[in-house]
Amino acid sequence: MKLLEIRNLHKKFDSTEVLKGVDLTVEKGDVVSILGPSGSGKTTLLRCINFLEKADEGDLVFGEKTYHLPKTSRDDISSIRKRTGFVFQNYNLFANKTVLHNVTLGLTSARHIHAKAAEEKALEVLRKVGMADFAGQYPSQLSGGQQQRVAIARALATDPDIIFFDEPTSALDPELTAEVLEVMRELAHEGMTMIVVTHEISFAKEVSSKVVFMAEGKVVEEGHGADFFENPKEDRTKEFLRLTKN
Amino acid sequence: MINEKTMELLISSFPKILEFGLKVTLPLAVIAFILSTVLAVLVATVQFAEVPVLKQICRFYIWVIRGTPLLVQLMVAFYGLPLIGIHANPFVMAVIVFTINEGAYSAETMRAAMEAVPAGQLEAGYCVGMNFMQIMWHIILPQSFRTAFPSLFNALISMVKDTSLASSITVVEMFTRTKQIAGQSYNYLPLYIEVAIVYLLFCTVLTFVQKRGEKILGSYGVRK
Ligand SMILES: Nc1ncnc2c1ncn2[C@@H]1O[C@H](COP(=O)(O)OP(=O)(O)O)[C@@H](O)[C@H]1O
Ligand SMILES: [Mg+2]
Repeated sequence: MKLLEIRNLHKKFDSTEVLKGVDLTVEKGDVVSILGPSGSGKTTLLRCINFLEKADEGDLVFGEKTYHLPKTSRDDISSIRKRTGFVFQNYNLFANKTVLHNVTLGLTSARHIHAKAAEEKALEVLRKVGMADFAGQYPSQLSGGQQQRVAIARALATDPDIIFFDEPTSALDPELTAEVLEVMRELAHEGMTMIVVTHEISFAKEVSSKVVFMAEGKVVEEGHGADFFENPKEDRTKEFLRLTKN
Repeated sequence: MINEKTMELLISSFPKILEFGLKVTLPLAVIAFILSTVLAVLVATVQFAEVPVLKQICRFYIWVIRGTPLLVQLMVAFYGLPLIGIHANPFVMAVIVFTINEGAYSAETMRAAMEAVPAGQLEAGYCVGMNFMQIMWHIILPQSFRTAFPSLFNALISMVKDTSLASSITVVEMFTRTKQIAGQSYNYLPLYIEVAIVYLLFCTVLTFVQKRGEKILGSYGVRK
């Protein structure tokens, strides 16, 4: 079942076109990995889907409805965001809130869920990412890996239809990377729909149902899971995979 | 150097000076400070949110207030407000003027503090489904208030001393009261030194309150 589709997404910053007509389809339960060199527009793509950047052109099909990206109403944006989660490269945990309140805020404030029920839900997702014992701490007291796991719990708490991950481990040391990838692996196995921008090739190989390779604002090639890595068709893809192999 | 008579004058006038400090000077500064902080948050939020028209009005307000002396503002209010039908007693009028004056400066402090909150905090708020006002209330305001607190408190300390300007619109505050006592005794210098010490005392207490306030507001676990 199709959950999300992007059609012909264009985005300019000033006069430079960063996304030049991107199309992407995500089925329910898909884990879509997006690979590509730095500057190819991966972050911008995710940010446009969640309206953190305003696309210049393109449509978003989400659930039953189609939205014209440059002209989506404030209410539609809000309802789309309430059904999605976003995990940032630099976590962006709320600095003035404890771990627990980082997770409950989207429930109590945005969805008017009772504090007690929100706390139960928060502890449930924090347990899932192994951070329940840190519920009373502030983000600044945690390691990067711990912060990112809380950020994942925050995204999970609202039961989103899909979670976007923008290079969730690229700010982390290898051993901290492992603990975050472990959590994401578990989500993938549970059937969570995710789009993951990543440089972790082996992780992408292992969990992706679909891999998308982007360069210079375009999708160069896409393929299914491991097959993508074994039989890349485009020269750009082959070169990228050769360079990232270590 | 200090003869017995001067000593007696200092002792007998101390409670009178302190009384006007506690009943007029401090309340004027503290009430105006609290109101000005509320005003500043509103004015800063309008600018931070880029509300059209209102934002220009806020800029105009800040421009006018910061570009004219407090003393002139007091006089304009004193003679101007009755003309538009507002007959407030001088103390209330002073509170209004100090609020509006301090509001303009604190609004700039608050705006700078809001702009210093990393953009990712706002974006993360949007991504969990909050709207702008919810993010303002739960994330941006607490963080920027924490940043602005020392500057805001500095402004309060300045205001305690600036309240003496309220005498220009017939408010009898601590300094004016001292002047009256001094005038009766023809012994100016000792009394002015005495009132200076009372101002110093007030500001010392406020500095202490500021330190406590900074502790209570905390730094979200950063320094532990
Ligand atoms: N806010 C912005 N203003 C101007 N240029 C931007 C902005 N964000 C990204 N870019 C530019 O867009 C291009 C794509 O960036 P990005 O989407 O971050 O790529 P990636 O995530 O693939 O590294 C880069 O050249 C970057 O400099
Ligand atoms: Mg990026």
